[in-house]
Formats: sequence, structure tokens, C-alpha cells
Amino acid sequence: MSKRNLVKPLSYGALLVVLFLVPAFIAQPYVLHILIMAGLNIILASSLRFIATSGQISLGHGGMVSVGAFTSALLVMRLGLSFWAALPLAGLTTMILAFLVGYPFVRLKGIYFAMVTLFLAEFIRLTAEQWKSLTGGVAGIIAIPRPNPLIIPGLLNADFTSKVDFYYLSLVMVVVTLLILYAIESSRIGMTFFSIQQSEFLAESIGIDSARFRVLAFSIGCFFAGMAGAFYSHYFTAMNPSSFGFLLGINVFIYMVVGGMLRFYGPIIGAFILTVTPELARELKEFEPFVFAGILLLIILFMPEGLISLPHRLRKIIRESFSHA
Amino acid sequence: MLAQNLLNGLMSGWIYILVALGLTLVLSIVGIVQLAHGEMYMVGSYIVYYFCVRAGLNFFLALFISILCVGLLGVVLERFFLRPFRGNVEGAIITTIALILILQNGVVAIFGQNYKDIPSPIQGVLTVLGVRLSWERLITILVSMGLVSALLIFINKTKIGQAMVAVSEDRDAAALQGINVNRVSSVAMFMGCALAAAAGALVGAIFDLTPFMGGFALMKGIAVIILGGLGSIAGAIIGGLILGLVDGLVTPLLSVQMAGIIGLVVIILILIFRPQGLLGHE
Amino acid sequence: MLEISGLTKYFGGLAAVNELDFDVRRGEMVGLIGPNGAGKTTVFNLITGFLRPAKGSVVFNGRDVTGQKPHFIAKMGIVRTFQATSIFSNFSVLENIIAACYLQSNLNLGKAILHTPGSRKREEHIVNRALEIIHFVGLDAIKDQPARSLPHGYKRILGIAVSMAPDPQLLLLDEPLSGMSAEEVKRAVTLVRRIWERGTTILLIEHNMRAAMNLCQRIIVLEMGRKIAEGSPEEVRANREVIQAYLGAGKHVT
Repeated sequence: MSKRNLVKPLSYGALLVVLFLVPAFIAQPYVLHILIMAGLNIILASSLRFIATSGQISLGHGGMVSVGAFTSALLVMRLGLSFWAALPLAGLTTMILAFLVGYPFVRLKGIYFAMVTLFLAEFIRLTAEQWKSLTGGVAGIIAIPRPNPLIIPGLLNADFTSKVDFYYLSLVMVVVTLLILYAIESSRIGMTFFSIQQSEFLAESIGIDSARFRVLAFSIGCFFAGMAGAFYSHYFTAMNPSSFGFLLGINVFIYMVVGGMLRFYGPIIGAFILTVTPELARELKEFEPFVFAGILLLIILFMPEGLISLPHRLRKIIRESFSHA
Repeated sequence: MLAQNLLNGLMSGWIYILVALGLTLVLSIVGIVQLAHGEMYMVGSYIVYYFCVRAGLNFFLALFISILCVGLLGVVLERFFLRPFRGNVEGAIITTIALILILQNGVVAIFGQNYKDIPSPIQGVLTVLGVRLSWERLITILVSMGLVSALLIFINKTKIGQAMVAVSEDRDAAALQGINVNRVSSVAMFMGCALAAAAGALVGAIFDLTPFMGGFALMKGIAVIILGGLGSIAGAIIGGLILGLVDGLVTPLLSVQMAGIIGLVVIILILIFRPQGLLGHE
Repeated sequence: MLEISGLTKYFGGLAAVNELDFDVRRGEMVGLIGPNGAGKTTVFNLITGFLRPAKGSVVFNGRDVTGQKPHFIAKMGIVRTFQATSIFSNFSVLENIIAACYLQSNLNLGKAILHTPGSRKREEHIVNRALEIIHFVGLDAIKDQPARSLPHGYKRILGIAVSMAPDPQLLLLDEPLSGMSAEEVKRAVTLVRRIWERGTTILLIEHNMRAAMNLCQRIIVLEMGRKIAEGSPEEVRANREVIQAYLGAGKHVT
């Protein structure tokens, strides 16, 4: 086996080991909380990009998170299911919803699809607010139980009373999500998505049912949004219909674009950096929206491919400055 | 009572029409996702607030100024921040999000977050056949109808108006026919933002102003467009009236939220069974 | 093989295609010509499901495919190219063809994700086939270049290669030679002839009269959505109405 084949898996492996060891060195709940949020945002941004690989931008990811969150809370609190069953079921429910609304939605052009998904998120919020018996109305649900303890005598004792257990859960979810998304994207199915994204007409003319694939991408992307939602509700233990609205969908979209949509790891970088840095920039609270808006404009005007294009651009600048020297 | 609700419904309907027509113009002619459309509505109302309350001008004069200002603002924004992103959905979304942030927070910085109020231009009631209709609502409806009529005349009777229709159907074909697409875009942007500003100003005269009133307008605009038909002007009018009447008649019966839900359910159903809207094209 | 009857399509009040009848027999290379705006591309759109006719029918191999979705018609064996160059710009030349071999791949989600030996073998088979096609059209030298960086002439060739990948029985070529230099035209004409000789039936829209007359055994002439002439190249060339149609539009039938 050539050396080159081993470098990538080894470095990912090393990264994984480092991430697993983090709680051993950092015990502050605050830091762990940031990392957990970053992990969830990575899941959301990556699943949003997955939908985008088929050429459609969804602004309604927040609504999907909501669906997953409420489903999980209700399954556990009303039906007595274990969190570990509710988690995938929440994802599944969200996926089915996405599948059902997907078919009419994907027939719309990009601009309209984006608006319609935004609208869907609003619809979900308003429905949740009205359906008091199910969701507790505007006030939402409180006292959501933590995940059921996972106990393997001698090996594992996770009762989810401390953030460390949640950290590991989020880490596992991130890894699983990324592995699945990457596997699909690098398969023939992923290639089909990219074909549709580049030219829907051409794809259709060679036999690709673009509507079906778009629905598939949308459904799978929303599955992971739903699972993230389930995590949220049992981590925060309280939520209401407005917790994950419009704003979350927009934020996740920003993570994806700023990180860069052209590469798989773009949203990962975008989500991580944009989750962590606002915490560091707390002092600028007053100017924050203007600074943020300014940064958004700068990025979209001067670095539209996102942060992933940074190394390439730097190399270009360095090369050009040396050629003048 | 029924008459009051009907009047409220009609008024809401015509406001929705203004917003939705504006949004349709921007979406189908300028060709970008204008998430900041609600902010044009909001800024429109605050400009009237400023000229009416702080500068003491007549409401209708302030309305006129506001329409011009926001229209021009839109043209400038389109030229420098939106045109580069025509056809680029992600880019347009990011830019308009940035615009929302700047406009909302700009207004907060200048006027503060508290609710503001524009005094009603015409107080009082018109009594017809024993029914009491408030003048402010009637004026809102009449002004809206006037603006929409002006728009329709412009589209049907002027060269640029016809060019706008051509561009909205097929931009490349229009360009091939010699139409200056950029100029048409600017005009459409002006009119789209002007309509939104007018809607905001008219609403501001009746209800409170807040820097965050734009989101509501955007959602209603989207709802009307989905219902009435993507890219259809007649659809925006019919869709706006339907939604307005639903809101006006259902709200007193059930609740504001239920009216919203029913409206949304209708729209989701339309989306599922006729995604191009009532009057949209395939 | 292909029977068009009474095909009609309106845009606004105008009939872009008006009660059109013609057929294409297996193994033929038929040309579809006519002045600009005659409705030729609209006919392609109607045949392949990109537009739905107001009236009329499209029957392929005895089966009525009128109004079916484009991907369904592609599966049935009809593939078309587009007037504007249609290639997957972000893919390399090779990836373009591999992607276009979609119909040869077996899309089982589970198997694809797990990269099972079965699916991997099929993909290998597809890569080999893609390389064959690239060799056939003469793009071997640039097979790994990004498609968007290709010069115009090569992009058109790639577009044709993409349309070959699904192995269609009937190939609809929409002005394949447009925008090409004299050299490129010569090579493209040879390519189209070779594709036909391989056994693919071809219906060709082309403005380049010499090439169309050269390649096709039979020519159908359209004007304003109607068929005004049909026959061998010589017959059509001498047809008075055809000459009128072209002179009226300021063109010459050479």
C-alpha cells in the first residue's frame, strides 16, 4: 500500500483520537457546551449542503429541527419510549415529512424553492403554536428528560447528568452523519445529484429523474436535521415552537456558504468557526450585527466560494507577490 | 360587525397585494431572492414616521417622499449588491440577509426599538347604509387600489412595461430582442420597493411600527405569491384578496393564529396539488 | 421507428408547431431544416417531453410516448442534444461521460453507499465504456480536463459524446455544428456519420446546409411550424417553396 493512501485516514484517525480525549483535558462545562453546539451545527450545515448538491437551497432547516425536537420529546414523554429509540424515529418522522412536501416543492425553480422552504418553517412554527395539546403551544415543552443512561459495567457509565456525556454523544452523531453523507455523496448517487445541480435539463435528457433525486436529497438532509433536533430537546430539556425557527435555518445556511459549498468539508469549517468565534467576540455586542453584515458582504463579494478557497487564494497572492519581487 | 370584518379583510388583502406585487416584480424581473423585501416595507413606514411626526409634514406628502426614497434605495441596492447575484441563489440570500441586518439595526439605532405610532391622516367614520366604516381603512384600500391600477397601466401601456413582461418570461430571449435588461431590472426594482414602502406606510398609519415588522410582510408576500401563482400579477391580486379576506373574517371568529394557520394550510394544499399557484404557468 | 402525427404546440396565440406529421425509420439519418423560428427545436422539445403538445402524438417503436417526462423518454431510447452547449461544466471530460452513463448503472441506494463489490464492478465497467466513448470521439488527450475550460468546438463534441453514453436508439442532434470553424465542422461531420454507421438512427437539425445535405438521406423542411417539403437532398434543394422560404428569410440554399 502506497504511503499516500494512508495519510488521509491516519490524520482523520488522529483528529478523532484528539477529539475523544478533549474532555480529559478540558472540564469546563462552558467549553464543552460550545463544542457540542459546534458539533450540532456541523451536522446541520453538512446536511444542508447535502440538499444543495442536488441544486436546491433550503432555508427551512430550522423547521425540520423543530419537527425532530418535538417528535423526540413527545415520543419519550407521552409514549414512554427510550431516547435511544426516539432519536432515530425523530429523524425518520422528519424525513417522511420532507418526503411528502418534497415532491411538490422540488418542481419549483431555485428562487422559489428557497422561499417555499422558508415558508414551510414558518408553517411548522405556527402549527406548533396552535396545537397546544401536542406541543404546549407558545410556551412549549419543559422538563424533557435526559437521554436514558447507557451502562456497560466496567466500560461505560453515561447518565447524561454532565456535559461530558453529551459531548461524546454529539461527537458520535457528527462522525456517523459525516460518514453516511460522504459515502452517499461519493457514490453514483452523489454523482447524479451533482449532474442535476449542474444542468437539470441535461440530466433529464440522459434519463435522470431529477425530481426523484431532489426529493431523495431533501429527505436525507432533513433526516439528519431531525436527529439534531432530537438531541437539542433532550440536551436543553426545554423548548418551544420558536426555538428553532427561521433564525436557525438562516444561520445554518450562513455556516454552509461561508465555509464553502463546493467541498464536503466546507460546512464543517464554516460551522465550527462561526460557532466558536462569536463566543470570543462577545464584547462587540452592540456593533455585532453591522460587523456581521459587513463580513457577510465581504465574503460573498470577494471570496464567494467560502473559506475553503482561502488556501488557494493565499497561494495565489504569495505566488503573484513573488513574481513581482 | 360583518361589515367591519369585511372591511378589515379587504384592507389586509390590498396591503398583501402591494407587498406581493412588489415581491413578484423583484423575483421575476430582477431575478433574485429578495429576503429584504420586508425591510423595504419597514423602512417605508419609518420614513413616513420621520417626515410626519418629526418633521410635521402632511401624511400623503410623507407617503410620496417615502415611496420615492425607498424606490431609489432599491435601485442603488440592486445595482451594486444584487445584480452581481442574478441567478446565484446562495449569493443573493447572503447579501439580502446582510441587508436585513443593516436595515433593521440601522432603524433600531436611529429610532430605537420601542413601538412607534403615526397619527392617522384621516380620522372618523363614513356611515353607509347604517354601517360605520373607518376612513383610515377606506383610504388604505383606495390608495392601494390606485397604486395597483397605476402599475397595471404602466405595464400594459408603456414600452418599458411591456419590456418588463418580456424579461419576466424569458430574460435571454428579451435580451436578444434588444431589450436593455439592466434598465428594466432597475425600473422593476424601483417599483417593487416603492410598492412595499407604500404598504408599510399605510399600515404604519393604522398599526404600530417596529423595526421588526418586515418579517411578517415577507411571509405574507410569499404566501400570496404561492397561492396566486409564481410570476403572475393577476394571481398576486387574487391571492392577496383571498388571504386578506381569510385573515379578516377568520380572525374575529377564531383567533389571529388560526387565521394564519388556515391561510397557511390553503397554501400548503396549493403547493401540493398545484405548485405553480392558481394562475401560474407550468 | 418514430411517428409524429398531428403534432401541435401554441405559444401565446401562435402555433409554433402546426399539425406536423412525419416519421423516421430505423437506421435513417434524417435532416430537419428550415429558417429561424420554423419550430425545429420546439419539435425536439415535444418529442422528448420537455414540452407537452396541445394536439397530436409521438409514437416510438409502436409505443405512444406523447407528453411523457424527458427521463422516461430517454429510458425508452431517445436522447437529444441542446442548441446551447450542454455539458456538465464542473465535471472533467471523463466524469461527464461517466455521469451520462446513468442508465447503465444500477441505482440501488444501499448497494451504492456500501460500495459493494457488485456495484464497484458495474462502475468499473462504466468507466471502461466511458473511455471507449471518449476514444471514439477523439477526446482522449483531454479526458481529465474540466469541461468548462474546453474550447467551444471541443465542448460541442463532448456534448455529442454525452448524448451517446446512454446508448440511444434514436439520437436527436440540435445544430451540433453551430459555432464551429471549418476544420471543426469537417471533424464533427465525420463523427456524426460514424455514429450513424454504428447503427444509431439520427434526426438532425442543422443550419449548415452543405453538411445536412451531405449527411442525410432524407430531409424534412419546416416553415412556421408546418412541413413544406420532404424528400431526398436533391429534391428538397430544387423545391420552389423551400427556396422561397429561405430567400424570404434572407438565406440561401447551397
